[in-house]
Amino acid sequence: MSSLDPRRLVLRNDVAELQRLAGWIEGFAQHGISSDVSFAVQLCLEEAVANIIMYGAARDERLEIAVELERNGGTLVARIEDNGRQFDPTRAPPPVVATSLEKAKVGDLGIHLMRSFASGMDYERREGRNRLTLRFIESTSPAPE
Amino acid sequence: MDLSAEDLPGGITKVVLQGRFDTTGAVVMELPFNKIVTERRKIIVDLSAVNFLASYGIRVLLVGAKIVKSKGGNLVILCPDNNVAKVLKTAGMDALIPIHQTETAAAAALAS
Repeated sequence: MSSLDPRRLVLRNDVAELQRLAGWIEGFAQHGISSDVSFAVQLCLEEAVANIIMYGAARDERLEIAVELERNGGTLVARIEDNGRQFDPTRAPPPVVATSLEKAKVGDLGIHLMRSFASGMDYERREGRNRLTLRFIESTSPAPE
Repeated sequence: MDLSAEDLPGGITKVVLQGRFDTTGAVVMELPFNKIVTERRKIIVDLSAVNFLASYGIRVLLVGAKIVKSKGGNLVILCPDNNVAKVLKTAGMDALIPIHQTETAAAAALAS
């Protein structure tokens, strides 16, 4: 069953679930993933899932957010699937660059951080669900002698 | 996530944050942090012991810096060159809030 699969985590749309997500990624990252890649994965998944929790549901609607992590060759692949309202973060406009502290707008940074810290990001809407795939290139270390 | 504040010479307040400055941490931190930035004028926010930073944490820092500025004060960040600093720079915060790598440099920036 998926609930027993250590590479898959199912979350509800409750901000408290972000703590569970963080702990789960930390556990996954202990299996030989570099601290830089682990940080990038934690950042991108936190931003993506927080967005879904805060903006993905109509009032009182319960969502199911499934997160999967998989190592594929030298790439770590993260997939996030949810049944919330349609939202494609790959099409979100870049943030406006502020020229002063007084004029700086608060917010709109999460997707920009995801774009910057992930190596690639793809979105599709299928069967009423958002499917976001994030890829992280793991630095290749020389094989042991 | 933990927050503590200490007074430094020259009327500077150093706010030391510790732990994960993620959404969960930022929600907890927002009120006590806003109380300090409303009351003080020269603030160093020490992120040396923060091991993770997400956009909600940046939001708290940015709002804090805006509040201090609106009252004629200054807020600077103390952060070593690590992944947290990389998040700040990627978000463009280094153009809005001065980031220093040592407490001496941060304090000197507030003294001038």
